[in-house]
Amino acid sequence: MQSTENQPSNMSPEDGWRAIHSTMDQSRSSMYLAGTSSILLLWGAVMAVGYLLHFGISSLATDFADQYPWFPGPLWGTLGTVGFIASGIIGRRAGQDLADNHTARSAGLRVFFFWLAVTFAAIFVPAAAGMWTPDSGSLVPGVVIGIIALGYILFGIMHRPALAVVGIGIAAAYYIPNYLLDDVAPAVTAVAMLVVVLIGALWLRKSGVA
Amino acid sequence: MTQDSITLDETIHQPTRLRIMTMLVSQPDPDRMTYGFVQKSLGLTGGNLTTHLRKLEDAEYLQITKEFHNQKPRTWLKATPTGRQAFANYYTNLQKILNWNPNP
Repeated sequence: MQSTENQPSNMSPEDGWRAIHSTMDQSRSSMYLAGTSSILLLWGAVMAVGYLLHFGISSLATDFADQYPWFPGPLWGTLGTVGFIASGIIGRRAGQDLADNHTARSAGLRVFFFWLAVTFAAIFVPAAAGMWTPDSGSLVPGVVIGIIALGYILFGIMHRPALAVVGIGIAAAYYIPNYLLDDVAPAVTAVAMLVVVLIGALWLRKSGVA
Repeated sequence: MTQDSITLDETIHQPTRLRIMTMLVSQPDPDRMTYGFVQKSLGLTGGNLTTHLRKLEDAEYLQITKEFHNQKPRTWLKATPTGRQAFANYYTNLQKILNWNPNP
């Protein structure tokens, strides 16, 4: 927290001009980041639960996994839907804590459509590449995680660099275990995702409104 | 007219108050912002923000209202029409000073 109580008012016109424009940018970004740390934690939990269930069913309930090899689809579909609805509720409440209807709603809608576009890309890019089949379905999570991580990186570049770092962390938490490990990769990914989003959420909360 | 004859509103021309007013007038009228959002966005202490808000309120540039939302107190800040006009004048004068050319 900076103290400006005793700051002199002999600010130069150039400083005043810069202050106006940097405050406008800062205010807009803070508005777009409303509830981001809570939503980030929520998605970290969603992904961790998803990977733990995926790992648990694949390794402990092998009969079930053999009988229903397509189980990851409904599993991730359900978790994703729950996460999407919960994100909307968190974002809406966070927006109401910042500003009145029009301002909060327009900022919230922009963020909503950004992530809606990311979600559509995550679904349709693998579909366009013909990956939604029993044979190549196992490749889908790699593409989906890559697109979601790219979403975080782009949003971070536009509004807060900490989020871009979180995006890189999410990608690393998935790709590194999946490249280096075999059966235990989903469990390691689950823990790594939780660690990444926890650090990210704390960082965002410390660095301002999120 | 000389550059010195253009005056900047001293109530607004102070780093913290300028940033507070910028945040508030950047919202469409009659939208308001919460005290907590302004405080966190600008990285100010509660005491510091309150001091500057009082000066702006005394000049009738902003309006402070307290309401209860879900049984929690919430303080709203809103730029008044006088405050919006003062900021618009300040901005225009700032532009005039910055674009001042003594040899047109």
